Amino acid sequence: MEEMLFIRTEVVPALARGIIVSIQLIIPSSALGLLVGMAVGAARVYGNRSLTFAANCYVAIFRGFPLVVQLFIWYFGLPYIGIYMTPYVAAVLGFSLCSGAYHSEYIRGAFLSIKQGQLMAAKALGFSHVGMLIHVIFPQAFRRALPGCGNEIVYLIKYSSLAYMITCIELTGEGKIIASETFKYIEIFLIIGAVYLFLTTIASWFLRRLENRLSIPGFKPFSV
Amino acid sequence: MIESLTILAGALPYLLKGSVVTIGVVFGAMSLGLLFGIALAVGQVYGAIWLKRLIGLYVWFFRGVPLLVLLFLFYFGLFSLLNINLTAFTVAVIVLGLISAAYQSQIFRGAIVSLPDGQLKAARALGMSDATAIVLIILPQALRLAIPAWSNEYSIVLKDSAVAYALGVTEIMARAHFVASRTYQHLPLYFTAGVIFLILTYAGTKALRLLEERVHIPGYSQ
Amino acid sequence: MSTEMIPVLSAERITKRYGKKTVVRTASISVNKGDLKVIIGPSGAGKSTLLQCINYLVTPDEGRILLEGREIDPSRKKDLYRLRQDVGMIFQDFNLFDHLTAHDNVRIALRRVKGIDKTDASERAVRELERVGLLDHMHKYPAQLSGGQKQRVSIARALAMDPKIMLLDEPTSALDPELITEVLAVIGDLRANGMTMIMSTHQISFASEMADEFIFMEAGIIVETGSPAKILSQAECERTREFCAKINEIYGTSY
Repeated sequence: MEEMLFIRTEVVPALARGIIVSIQLIIPSSALGLLVGMAVGAARVYGNRSLTFAANCYVAIFRGFPLVVQLFIWYFGLPYIGIYMTPYVAAVLGFSLCSGAYHSEYIRGAFLSIKQGQLMAAKALGFSHVGMLIHVIFPQAFRRALPGCGNEIVYLIKYSSLAYMITCIELTGEGKIIASETFKYIEIFLIIGAVYLFLTTIASWFLRRLENRLSIPGFKPFSV
Repeated sequence: MIESLTILAGALPYLLKGSVVTIGVVFGAMSLGLLFGIALAVGQVYGAIWLKRLIGLYVWFFRGVPLLVLLFLFYFGLFSLLNINLTAFTVAVIVLGLISAAYQSQIFRGAIVSLPDGQLKAARALGMSDATAIVLIILPQALRLAIPAWSNEYSIVLKDSAVAYALGVTEIMARAHFVASRTYQHLPLYFTAGVIFLILTYAGTKALRLLEERVHIPGYSQ
Repeated sequence: MSTEMIPVLSAERITKRYGKKTVVRTASISVNKGDLKVIIGPSGAGKSTLLQCINYLVTPDEGRILLEGREIDPSRKKDLYRLRQDVGMIFQDFNLFDHLTAHDNVRIALRRVKGIDKTDASERAVRELERVGLLDHMHKYPAQLSGGQKQRVSIARALAMDPKIMLLDEPTSALDPELITEVLAVIGDLRANGMTMIMSTHQISFASEMADEFIFMEAGIIVETGSPAKILSQAECERTREFCAKINEIYGTSY
């Protein structure tokens, strides 16, 4: 009886709080990450030499450093040069910049995969550069980049748990605190695992539905 | 600036010792993932329907739950419940290995499925049992095809291994943080840690590319 | 009378260089209304480049293009886009938009370049697809069509724009032999309806029945022009004769 009360008054609210923080991490980070990825991907394909070089360096570092290291740099490292951030801001920044680097790989590949003939045909019909971008390049690039970028967002859902390591208390963090108090590690972490499983499953399902809806015969997605 | 460099130089051997730990974790996890992953892949392609379902469930679980949650679940929960006393290092190897097995199984499954039908048929026609055919004919081809994807998986596991720091495994990241919290040289230390990871990624993928060339069969691509 | 004297399109002294290599050298073509001019010549002669210079898909280094007597200034975007709307182009490898159905391929430029409203554009697209015999396939994607069908869609796509002239760059070269006839039939139909065209092709026997004039091109230079009969049987230039002899051998024409 006491246990039930404890679960109702302590565990459930804490986990609910955690889920909300997690979602507050995931949604802005994936949106920002996509924006970064598009900008960097476009820069790598259409930029001049120095811009392409800078973008390539960015991608090499942000894909090469473990996410934990990146988060530590933003949260514990930047104060070294006088920049202070809350754990939440540092986490969103870290997630966005890291996933942006991964997104840019897929977006770059999608742009590069557009055949020269498609652009020639559009020009021959009198399309302006902007018209060609909107009606030919984007619809094709979007379809090719979608599976890769979508997967990246699914990964981000899972990696959002690392925010705990820079003291941004989201779902995993709340769980850790309660579990340490109650010693019910298995129960708590199974519940938390189930929540993540639910989120990643829903996201993958939604992604697959979108892919199917947009699928076109003969159109292969770009894969790294 | 000079001070930072002195501290960095002093800390470097300590950090590099951490990279030995990191390599240990990654090597253990990748090996476990390889063996278990191959078994899962073969089961998922050739197994009975119930086995396929079971493996599907396994893959779904280990690909859907965050590493950190699994580390906590196994380290603080499962193993202490079972009264098994394992070091944080071992738990990190097991958990990273189980997750990697889920991913690797999909790599190998894709490779097996991409082989032409005729390979298995020809093996059977020579009187081989299915098990023999899989070991002698299918896997040697599938594993070759899987090397590029496997190399990608290596770089993921390598980076993920930094999360083992959360259990207190004294790998690169843990050591960088330890020194940083004493010397207040956070930024240079984390950056150095990142660079060590970059070098390890580069070295590993390079080695795998060489392996790929070594075992390359003429006329065999994709 | 005087308006009839103005060619629909003339390309004057077009030169295109890639690095040190001159791909097209001072080539001039002029086409009157209803004309079909056929460019023949070996691969690498610069036929494709010349055609692409005409609508500035490739920017020539020298020379100018006049559409109905008006010189095009390619630095003015509006001029350029206008020119391209007025000049229909058929590519060797079709270049249908891979993400659009046959119907949408024909419709997209009507809607997005010409700004025609959706219903009118759709109806027009249907009419053009009917004209090339593909009404039954209008909802298919390029990957679901045969090569011949793709090329017919691309012809419908160009026709829908009401071009003043069409450029056909080896329209049957990428097709399997059994699919060539259906595309040639459509081109013959265009000719019968008085469409002005410049076409490069290796289909000599078909072209000789249809063309007003043959233009023999080699190494970026227009070597000789004249009626098909003259070029094929009594060409003045040795190289032209050699080429025609070889072509006859391969394709077995009646000439």
